Amino acid sequence: MDEFIEFVRGGPLGPIKKWGTKWSLWPVHLVTACCGAELAHAFAAGYDGERIGALNYGIARQTNLIIVEGAITRKMARVLRITWEQMPDPKFVIVMGACGLQGGIFWNGYHLVKPSDVVPVDFFIPGCPPTPEALLRGIRQLQFKIETGEAKTSATFPEISLEAGRKPRVLPRPPKKISKAPAVIVNAPKEVDWEFGQKLVEELKAKIEAKSVTITGKNRIAVKVESDSITKTAIRLKEMGFDHIKNVNVIDVPNEDKFIVEYHFSSYSVKELMPVIVNVFADIPRDNPKVKSLANMFPSADYMEREMYDFFGVIFEGNPWMGRKFLLAPDAPEFPLRKDFKLEEEVYVR
Amino acid sequence: MMDIINYLFETFSSNMMDIPLIAPIVDYLMKIPVINVLVALILWKPFFAVIIMPGLGVLVLYLLYVVWYERKLTARIQWRVGPLEVARPIRGAIQALADGIRYFFQEAIVHREAHRPYYVQLPILAFIPVLLPIMFIPAGSAVGIYTPYSIQLIVTFIALIPITIVAIGWAANSRFAYIGSVREAFMYFAYEVPFIIAVISMIFLYGSGDAYVAVEKQSAIPGALLNPIAFIVYIIAMLMATSRLPFEIPEADQEIAFGPFVEYSGILFGLVMVLAYEKLYIMTLLFTILFLGGWSGLYCPLLGDLNGPLWMFIKTIVVISILVIVRSIYARYRLDQALRIGWTSMLALSIAALVVGGALGVWLS
Repeated sequence: MDEFIEFVRGGPLGPIKKWGTKWSLWPVHLVTACCGAELAHAFAAGYDGERIGALNYGIARQTNLIIVEGAITRKMARVLRITWEQMPDPKFVIVMGACGLQGGIFWNGYHLVKPSDVVPVDFFIPGCPPTPEALLRGIRQLQFKIETGEAKTSATFPEISLEAGRKPRVLPRPPKKISKAPAVIVNAPKEVDWEFGQKLVEELKAKIEAKSVTITGKNRIAVKVESDSITKTAIRLKEMGFDHIKNVNVIDVPNEDKFIVEYHFSSYSVKELMPVIVNVFADIPRDNPKVKSLANMFPSADYMEREMYDFFGVIFEGNPWMGRKFLLAPDAPEFPLRKDFKLEEEVYVR
Repeated sequence: MMDIINYLFETFSSNMMDIPLIAPIVDYLMKIPVINVLVALILWKPFFAVIIMPGLGVLVLYLLYVVWYERKLTARIQWRVGPLEVARPIRGAIQALADGIRYFFQEAIVHREAHRPYYVQLPILAFIPVLLPIMFIPAGSAVGIYTPYSIQLIVTFIALIPITIVAIGWAANSRFAYIGSVREAFMYFAYEVPFIIAVISMIFLYGSGDAYVAVEKQSAIPGALLNPIAFIVYIIAMLMATSRLPFEIPEADQEIAFGPFVEYSGILFGLVMVLAYEKLYIMTLLFTILFLGGWSGLYCPLLGDLNGPLWMFIKTIVVISILVIVRSIYARYRLDQALRIGWTSMLALSIAALVVGGALGVWLS
């Protein structure tokens, strides 16, 4: 980044180059989040960023400034790098918002990348989101940097030594042990006035070898089965008229050393069954998380099974996508939603 | 050696612009040995018309003006201020200069898929059909090359410009550039036929392709009132030909990212970006000659021969400034709508203009 500043300021034509670049910073904006609205505000009627010569341009090839608006995930990092490399030298980067600075509300997330790791950043604009004035001040600061050659923060704070002030508070310590979580109960029974439900429960009990069939609310039935009889249960439910799977879900219960796999069945074709959701769930061991896939029978389960593999590492046997990343970036850490997933250690600065 | 210089000096000084306002300075400079040749060259009528006014010199000024004016006007219409801080006392009028300098010192990327030789040389080649018509556009007594077929020649060169733009899109070898070139070719067919018919109707009306005859015939009534249908067709064709906004289809920056010019960067983009503005300038010069009485206007005796070029330039700038408003207040047509306009209503109007022009031409002669 400093070589660009040196190029702009150097040589016998330095003053001309400096002047031209300073008054013609055309930003290409990489919107990933709400900061884009603030950028639009900064260039609209009220604040009018075009006053200082910055003209918004959607095309990377003809610009010299990139404004990163919002959190950069592992997938967007590639896009940011490609956009940056498309731009002709000399080029500058301004990062907007708390997400780009330290992660913001996504702080310490498994999917987040700091923009400063991807491209050389000239200025950060803090705020969530920053105001239009702050953005325009960032562009002004970049202009001053081009003019004077040194980067300065536009905000100055008085310095106070730690000893002079009050004693530092005792900071909270990380917990030494994790208390035992209460058991996760998926099929907590509930008394409801639902006649058709009673009939349905009787029918299900007759047809399915279930461990238990419970009504958990109006139009909600939970069916507990063995993990290897999920396929059989699905066939029976399909015969009854349940024609699609609304949701596939996995619950991690590390203290009982198991995953709970849930399939939510419902119907589009039989009128009485339309509001009903039948939750078929089974416990599977945590060290060998395998369950038969229903993707062949119910195509709507396919994507959700892939997603559950991404997040929890539960292998759905028969689904051809297992073992590959589906929605997560290829370099994302494995199984980030498992409860024993190690995040970066929290660091307190005294 | 001296003979050649003397011969050149006599050639130049025999056909000089006579401007009473600067006559004392010129007379003083003509006495100095070497400088008098230069002064004679600058004031030599063909050189003056092509290089200074209404040629390249004012063309550069016009480019700086029109880019700034367009941005400023759009900003005012959107309740903004527009470029300002670069030069506050003159309302940011040198913003285009800053952009040009920035382009000049930026890296010009030639991407891997481009046809390298064509990609680099076509932006420069495209200037040939854009700038050659200036040789044949007369302004008062100042003219580069006099020919009785000047209007036809200008139209011919204007018709060559889209070919270079299509070639630019082909050389860039990217998908947006490809879509943009195809659109440019489509638009070329939409506006070129009505445009040429409208010009032919005016040639019928004046009975000659000579710009001097055309201006002379408009001494009483301007051509815009003689043949208003051709006037309307010419304006719409001009908007289509220069990608002004209701017909900004080939380089729609919101959807195909400047079409044929998408891959250009640095000074190469600076060159291709001004192509449309220069085309607008040439077409407006022709428009002034055909419809607004060319260089005729109030004669100021102090300016002498400069009256013609000055009036021509003023009329051109006024027309362009009015046309620029269209950009900020209209939405864009789709390609099929523009093609339909070109091949139905505009073609019909231009044929009506041809009938009117032919009838009036017979009656006037």
